[in-house]
Amino acid sequence: MTRVTTFQVTGQTSSAVETLIELGFVFGAPVATTTTLLDTFDGRLHRAGMQLRMLESDRVDLELCGLDTPTAHVAVGESPRGSDDLPPGPFRARVAAVIDVRALSPRVRVRSLRTCGALRNADGKVVSLAELHDALHILDQPVRLDAEPTVEIHEVPGYEKQARPILEALSRHSFEGFETDTLTLSAAATGVDLDGFSASATVPLDPGMAAVDGFRLVLANLAATIDANWLGTLEQTDSEFLHDLRIAMRRTRTILAAAKNVLPEEVLDHTRAEFAWLAGRTGEPRDLDVYLLEWSRYTDPLGSSTASDLEPVRVLLERHREEVHTELENSLCSDRASAVMVEWRTWLAEPLGTEEIPNRGNRPLGQVVAHRVSRAHAVLLERGRLIGPDTPPEQVHDLRKDAKKLRYLLECFGSLLPERPRKHYVKRLKALQDNLGEHQDAAVHVEMLQDIAHRFGVAGTSSNTTNFEMMVALGRLTERLDQQRLAARAEFTERFADYDTPKTQHALDAVIEGMNG
Amino acid sequence: MKVLATYSIKGGVGKTTTAVNLAHEAAAAGSRVLLWDLDPQGAATFFVRVKPSVKGGAERLVTDARSLVANIRATDDPAVHIVPADFSLRHLDLELDSTKHPTRRLASLLEPVANRYDVAVLDCAPGITLTSESVFAAADALIVPTIPTTLSQRTLEQLTDFLAAEVNPPMVLPFASMVDRRKRLQREVTEHLMRDIPGFLPTAIPNASVIELMGVERAPVALYAPTSAAASAFKQLWADIAGRIWT
Repeated sequence: MTRVTTFQVTGQTSSAVETLIELGFVFGAPVATTTTLLDTFDGRLHRAGMQLRMLESDRVDLELCGLDTPTAHVAVGESPRGSDDLPPGPFRARVAAVIDVRALSPRVRVRSLRTCGALRNADGKVVSLAELHDALHILDQPVRLDAEPTVEIHEVPGYEKQARPILEALSRHSFEGFETDTLTLSAAATGVDLDGFSASATVPLDPGMAAVDGFRLVLANLAATIDANWLGTLEQTDSEFLHDLRIAMRRTRTILAAAKNVLPEEVLDHTRAEFAWLAGRTGEPRDLDVYLLEWSRYTDPLGSSTASDLEPVRVLLERHREEVHTELENSLCSDRASAVMVEWRTWLAEPLGTEEIPNRGNRPLGQVVAHRVSRAHAVLLERGRLIGPDTPPEQVHDLRKDAKKLRYLLECFGSLLPERPRKHYVKRLKALQDNLGEHQDAAVHVEMLQDIAHRFGVAGTSSNTTNFEMMVALGRLTERLDQQRLAARAEFTERFADYDTPKTQHALDAVIEGMNG
Repeated sequence: MKVLATYSIKGGVGKTTTAVNLAHEAAAAGSRVLLWDLDPQGAATFFVRVKPSVKGGAERLVTDARSLVANIRATDDPAVHIVPADFSLRHLDLELDSTKHPTRRLASLLEPVANRYDVAVLDCAPGITLTSESVFAAADALIVPTIPTTLSQRTLEQLTDFLAAEVNPPMVLPFASMVDRRKRLQREVTEHLMRDIPGFLPTAIPNASVIELMGVERAPVALYAPTSAAASAFKQLWADIAGRIWT
């Protein structure tokens, strides 16, 4: 990123500009400009060392700054909602590689009278740039928030030395300089964390703390994640909001299940039932999100002709997706959902009376978590060993859920666990989970396609020829996915055998010993 | 990073004006561009108002892997950087010849900056030399300005014949350069080239005084004559090239 130094020139804008003019800067006309920092909800661009700025005046320009690389720029018609709205080419590819399916939204917006100036050498080459932001105010605040006017000095790569006397001259005026830009200063002034929301499952925990306190801290963190992703799910800002909401709910259910005799029974029973209901609303919308996001990955291998024959299926899935998202929206806006979250947040925030705490709640957290993790591992082994070639798919799916619950326990209590042994063990568990996931995803999608084939078979379409070609294509896609399911199932025995070994047990023992030690 | 080289065996066909204008158009379309002036005349360097100076001369540029980065300068377009040329590059062939793998040398010098730029445009001196061979090994595509005359067509054939014998040759993307639409013969030859030469790009760059003005303005045409036919032609030429290299 080009080095930028920003001076706050409170009440002395003209003095700063005069200094720059004396040094040889030539300024253009001021332009009323809205400058916006765009990023994802979880700050992916910022975390990747990138900055996407949008400048709106009589035109709209995007600038993409990165570490040690030139600032790319491109003119656009309007603010992009995601990478697909960017013009095709390297600019879009760079943004897409970082943000993936996430939406872009304003992290901070400022309005200013922006005046650009340049210092040129004898050849007329720009050797330093200045940007004056006068009448600066930060937008999207409850009340108009005026900010100090700023002068940014931008170093020009290859001409860094020329910036030094300029910085020194401005410093002599006692202007306060910051090694950042106006937008970042504005974000800091309004408390915007450019790292974005972090959906980390774990929180700082101590193995010696009371189990009840540790469980409540983990559950409060998950409740915060649910809250943070609620609005984005409702507004369908991007598909990751629902994904993160759903994962946080599933983790909550896993922790609640593990909290028997740690948290009060009546709270557990009620909350588990309510989260089971709420999480149940999210399943089908998420399945359809995934299916449509992965659509071309499924259909491209079948060839372009088959893929185009399947277009009516994609349209139907899209319509169905809209329906189930509307149902989800109704559920999330219902009094019941609202009550679940209000009651849950209230209970988590209020202190717990000692008489309410069950016997295990006062035990050391490390001891309780160690027991839960060991038990979850034992259940996984026990159920996995029962699976043979003729076991119904539902039982394989149940095993997948067991593996997930174990993984969630490890993630949510992650801060208690020693890092290296945990990674070593999770690598073994993940290999098994990947296989179970492939099986389940294919099974769900086959079922969905069979349902669609049935619907089309019953309803028909306007053209019999189209209907025939589509049904053939649908059959090919279903067959392909079923082959994937069968391949995953055939591989299961080997994968489970790899997991069910003394090595895995040793790896888990190291995790548990590290936690207690 | 895609490496393009404006190249022709013939001189005076518009290689440098093409390199500078394509660098500008690539940047306007969102790319980060490194323009590398390999011609000791340093005309591309002059056009972007950068001092013609290579630290340590051609010798260090070729032998020191860090030298390319040390020589990079920003142009007035924040998305376009340049490695300037100076007169020491007249010895570039000799310096390359003293390295272990001379024909791979330019490619290996570009490797450290491959993630910093989306496009590198190498502006080459005319002729087929050791430097050209190193350019062929580094480039994904050669952008070949071709004046619509019989002689230019012949040199284009010489180039394609030469590359046919190479392993992994770059894509050859010729285009009609300095076209005088008032001359019937030029119009006819241009049509023939576009129709009959494989890969020939459909956009012709006119022989326009507004392009000659680059020497006075020291800027890409689009900056001082944005509505000119030449500016539109360079924009379209970049769109043609982008369509070929990113498919």
